[in-house]
Amino acid sequence: MEDPPSLNDKSNSYVEFIKAVYRTVDRPVTWLREKVVVPNRPDNVYYHQKFRRVPTIDECYTDDRVCHFEAQQQFNRDKKVDGEIVQLVRQRYKECLIAEQPDHTRKCAKLQADFLKVSENFCMKYADLGPLNNVKDAYMKQKHRMLWERRHGKVGTGMKNQDAL
Amino acid sequence: MTTGKERLGRRSSIPPKFVLIANLLRAFASKVNLPKNAINQGILVLRSNPNNALQVVRQMSEHRTMHIKPSRWSWNRFKDFMHFYIMLGAIPAALVITYINLFIGPARLAEIPEGYVPEAHEYFPHPITRWLAKHVHKSYQQEYELMCHHIYEIEYEQKLRQAENRIKQKMAEKQDTQAYYYQPVSSRYERSIRDNAQADLEISGSV
Repeated sequence: MEDPPSLNDKSNSYVEFIKAVYRTVDRPVTWLREKVVVPNRPDNVYYHQKFRRVPTIDECYTDDRVCHFEAQQQFNRDKKVDGEIVQLVRQRYKECLIAEQPDHTRKCAKLQADFLKVSENFCMKYADLGPLNNVKDAYMKQKHRMLWERRHGKVGTGMKNQDAL
Repeated sequence: MTTGKERLGRRSSIPPKFVLIANLLRAFASKVNLPKNAINQGILVLRSNPNNALQVVRQMSEHRTMHIKPSRWSWNRFKDFMHFYIMLGAIPAALVITYINLFIGPARLAEIPEGYVPEAHEYFPHPITRWLAKHVHKSYQQEYELMCHHIYEIEYEQKLRQAENRIKQKMAEKQDTQAYYYQPVSSRYERSIRDNAQADLEISGSV
């Protein structure tokens, strides 16, 4: 299917004039940078650090404090990564909303569902635990949720009667 | 402040009215902020006296006046600070940072090659951060492993102490062991107190 018509295809003399004014400043600067500055720089490289997986808190003995420390550090890193994932999904959803106004309810429904799912999962794991990233608190939260779900069913379906339990 | 009346020599024979006006004018001129009034007046002046002779008059009291004005100490100090922090701080820093950003520039992102373990400073893009990571800061791995070792040592001592306390408690409960244990005693503190008391006695005459 061919691309839909774009505003970039059309032009007029005013637009051309403005582009020419921009070029008078841009061309010398770009030439200087590409021909003079960049070739004379050393070509340094940087990497993104990859961390090995260590045992999580549920695999540590209760008296093994070193294991607790490593699990805590891994939890902190994972929380940052998960936060960035939520940010990316949220950004995509926002950009769709802005671009597709006023049809956003129809066109961005999938992105909206994705964003709600991702943020729900993030909150299930990390939310309402206070300001300190305590891995044991998060572990206990998971345990309590599993107990609650065992007694009352899936979260969101309401609590069962206390006598019936 | 000299007036005409304190000069050496006889009063001239000019009519008194003119003398008065001249004295008033002289007094006014001496009080006005003129350069000549600030000159050190240790000079000898030749005056004519009515006897047609030149007379030497030493003007010994100086017409130096104090120029009363607000202090410029704060302003001068402000200028000193401005010069110091801008000439020696801001401008050299700006030049160095501009040079580094133009002629060295940030690093580009790449995949880690197979089997290669990058050094700590190769995880940062900007040249200044890389330099600091290489020569100044401890790496993440180093601090992490130092902390792990510290926790290991502390935990070891904690467990020893906990075991000792459990044993003592059991020995106290059951009272059935033949281990006569004692509280370890050190007389370091008693000696120190005695020496301090002696020093106080020597200095002050009483305990």
